Amino acid sequence: MNSMRGRDDERLDALFRAYRDACPTPEPSANFMPNLWQRIESRQSFTFSFQRMANAFVTAAVALSIALGVYMSIPRSNPNSYSQSYLEALADANTLDTPEYVSPVRLELSAPGR
Amino acid sequence: MLVDFELIKRAQKGESAAFNEIVLAYRKRILGTITRLIARPEDVEDVAQEVFLRLYFSLDQLRTAEVFEPWLHRLTVNAAYDYLRKQRRRQEFRMSDLSEQQVMLADAAAGGKVEHDEQYRKKIRESVQSLLGAVSEADRILLMLKEVEGLSLKELEKIYKVNENALKVRLFRARQRVLKAYGSAAAKEGAGQGR
Repeated sequence: MNSMRGRDDERLDALFRAYRDACPTPEPSANFMPNLWQRIESRQSFTFSFQRMANAFVTAAVALSIALGVYMSIPRSNPNSYSQSYLEALADANTLDTPEYVSPVRLELSAPGR
Repeated sequence: MLVDFELIKRAQKGESAAFNEIVLAYRKRILGTITRLIARPEDVEDVAQEVFLRLYFSLDQLRTAEVFEPWLHRLTVNAAYDYLRKQRRRQEFRMSDLSEQQVMLADAAAGGKVEHDEQYRKKIRESVQSLLGAVSEADRILLMLKEVEGLSLKELEKIYKVNENALKVRLFRARQRVLKAYGSAAAKEGAGQGR
């Protein structure tokens, strides 16, 4: 068993050596450096535009926050709207101009035979 | 080291000519390593460019000259690993892909009986790639660096930043898996001939 294992090991080593020979180092093409610089520049421009976009987004977010803060700090045009209690607001809404609910009931007290 | 640290410092400052010199000095070595790691000649240059691209954008992180080469190796390993993972998704390398003819050629290669023409080289590459399908991409690269590139455990330790014993264990396991795959392929071939 061990001898079998050893033989397989040797054969695998030989296969790896053959593999190394079968993968010779290629000569770089003439376009290697120009293509590399092209990739570097495109990555740089992408990073740059991403940074610009991120900056614009942050600026817009800050401006929006400031605008919202200013809007919230301005006093309301109807200051009473929040000073009234619920009952006061209800009373205002149901004034005496609704007689069907609030006017006194008139009773006919005369006897029918008179 | 193929370049001096002064050149690296100049490149770190953004000097394009210095970076060009570094690329020219290491280009061939990196191309060779990638060729053996990925075994696809048509994609080697693309992966090598990715290595130098990563080098360009991370060069400012380098502090000492001693770590430059292990670090460049690490970038190479990472780029090859990313490539292999993408490839794995596209096309699975399985042991069943190892044809009888390939096993025969692999055996013949071990005995050195066949002439090294391009067809033969291609078959050897395919055989080894099929065998390496038995291990993960990470183990495959580690095994290649040790067995084919001939890196020492000390060098691997610097690249992987893992202690020697852990590397030995991982290498042993990966090799055992490949051996098992090799044994099964050979047995399958033997059974095929016996019929």
